[in-house]
Amino acid sequence: METFVIGLSIASILFIVALGLAIVYGTMKVINLAHGEMVMIGAYVTVLASKHLGLGIYSCLPLAFLVAALFGLAIERLVVRPLYGRLLDTLLATWGIALILQQLIRIHFGFGLFGIHIDGLGSDLQNVPVPPELQQTLHILGTNIPVYRAFVFGVAVVLGLVSWWLIYKTRFGSQLRAVSAARDITAACGVNDKRINALAFAYGSGLAGVAGVLVSGFMTVSPDMGAPYVIDAFMVVVAGGVGHLLGTVLSAGILGEVQSFVATWSNDVYGRTVLFAFVILILLFKPQGLFVSRNR
Amino acid sequence: MKERTITLAAYFLFFAVVFALPFALNSFWTNRIAVYLVYAICAVGISLSWGYAGILSLGQGLFFGIGAYMISMSLTLAMPDNNPVPQFMLLNMEPNAPRDLCCATPGSFLWQPFQYLSIGVLAGILVPCVIAAVLGYVMFKRRTSGVYVSIITLALALIGQMLIINNQPLTGGFNGLADLAPLSVGGIEFDPYGKSVYYLVAAALLVVVLLSRLIVSTRMGHVLKAVREDDARVRYLGYNVENYKLFIYCFSAAIAGIAGLLFAVTSEFASPSLMSTSFSISMVIWAALGGRSSLLGACIGALIVNFIGSVASENVMLQPVWPIVLGLMFVLVVLVMPEGIAGIAKGWIAKLRQPRSLKEVVQ
Repeated sequence: METFVIGLSIASILFIVALGLAIVYGTMKVINLAHGEMVMIGAYVTVLASKHLGLGIYSCLPLAFLVAALFGLAIERLVVRPLYGRLLDTLLATWGIALILQQLIRIHFGFGLFGIHIDGLGSDLQNVPVPPELQQTLHILGTNIPVYRAFVFGVAVVLGLVSWWLIYKTRFGSQLRAVSAARDITAACGVNDKRINALAFAYGSGLAGVAGVLVSGFMTVSPDMGAPYVIDAFMVVVAGGVGHLLGTVLSAGILGEVQSFVATWSNDVYGRTVLFAFVILILLFKPQGLFVSRNR
Repeated sequence: MKERTITLAAYFLFFAVVFALPFALNSFWTNRIAVYLVYAICAVGISLSWGYAGILSLGQGLFFGIGAYMISMSLTLAMPDNNPVPQFMLLNMEPNAPRDLCCATPGSFLWQPFQYLSIGVLAGILVPCVIAAVLGYVMFKRRTSGVYVSIITLALALIGQMLIINNQPLTGGFNGLADLAPLSVGGIEFDPYGKSVYYLVAAALLVVVLLSRLIVSTRMGHVLKAVREDDARVRYLGYNVENYKLFIYCFSAAIAGIAGLLFAVTSEFASPSLMSTSFSISMVIWAALGGRSSLLGACIGALIVNFIGSVASENVMLQPVWPIVLGLMFVLVVLVMPEGIAGIAKGWIAKLRQPRSLKEVVQ
């Protein structure tokens, strides 16, 4: 049962990161390899905000969203947009961005070169203080449920609902879906598809930033923490099928639980190996993803 | 001059320099350049699969690492103090386990065949081939392409790295295998810091480049290029696209394996870092900088990036900035010079030739 709750929180993080990736991939067919770095930036926003501004983890959620979204916007403008239609090249360029962002943290945004050190940056590990009310453990039906894990789950649910509303109930959402289905025709109908691209990229990055805040509560924060997320999240997107919110939810749930259960049963490495084998099998037998029944 | 002649001259010049270089270098730099030539072999493999067939594998490091590990197992056992059981295994043994490869640690029997160097070398080429064949079969038969292939290969390399780190008693774990005997074949001992290893690597590079050149200049090369541009159209023309992709993917895996073998011989270690994501992706940027669809360009790209990289990492001021430069290189190469150095060189040559050919037309 505790394994299930831990799995649920892993799944929640995976879901938030993968949702951002899926929105970006769905609209632009672009994989942002710096997506994991948005998680990292979110985590560092939390570290810096709590060290220098005295902000708690709650106020960091919107702050990290904003900062990561701005980074996303900049990346879209400077790198992704000129490479439109060259997907593999985008992969390489965004990896370059990831390298740069990681190193900027390590060298204190470049001030480190001149001997100026900013508390909370650098290549060492950082920790974020978690407010006491989140450190407790709840006893429900004879199982221990750490409140923080439940909090993570709650945030994921809220973000999932907000995203659902945004994608299916707003004008932006219908334009977004139209662009992912048929970009040229949508553009011909007068929708500014470049603007949609930019907004989707920013929103996706912002989500990853929020995930970063949540992660910082139960893991140490370091410059290279982001890289695994982008791969795990992509696995979720592959398994769930692109352009399907519910598919992302379910596959994040399944993959998170699989990872958590195998990890407790043996160890983390085999957890990931099984996960990977699982995704390969999905690809082999259901290349459109588990939860997509129709082909467009 | 025809374009073909210029290309030939460029190849000739490159290899002439490569083969003459050790006479101008001390033993340290002979070793360094030999390592860079190993990287160049890797870059040729990437240029083949990515530049020609459009398959961007971000997991070449897995094959490279496997190659390095396979021969390192043989070279580890060739050390007298690693007989009958490698040193690191002794530390991980159960107290009453027999000091024999069959059962010293769980799985240590896998080491037994590697008492023969030839098996280590063969496995270093064949194992990457087989893994690539299985994975490639799954991916290509299911018509997985583009970014999917890249991410899946990336993930596979990551898993490989984690498995190696995790199985410390079998693989040496995080430290890898570093207690290696020098390669010795038929009484000739190859000294990593001498000319012998250098020429071994250079000869391997020459063979790999010639073989690759042969492949891309046949009809197959044209089909592969067509696949890169539009695989659906090639399929409608009646070609079995999957088999072409599978072949070139396995071939580039084998090249990465060979490079791995030579890396272990030259650098005298094999470690999980060879399978890291960043190393696999760096290989791609070597090929991208040099020119993805030019085999020679890929070689030159590997040499340039690594040379600058090692100079930068020895300088205290430059060292923290180097990853940023590398990152910028990724972005700029892709944005500004997608055909790399080779593309720029081709552009210049075309410009030089243009006026003359115009004149010829007028006359």
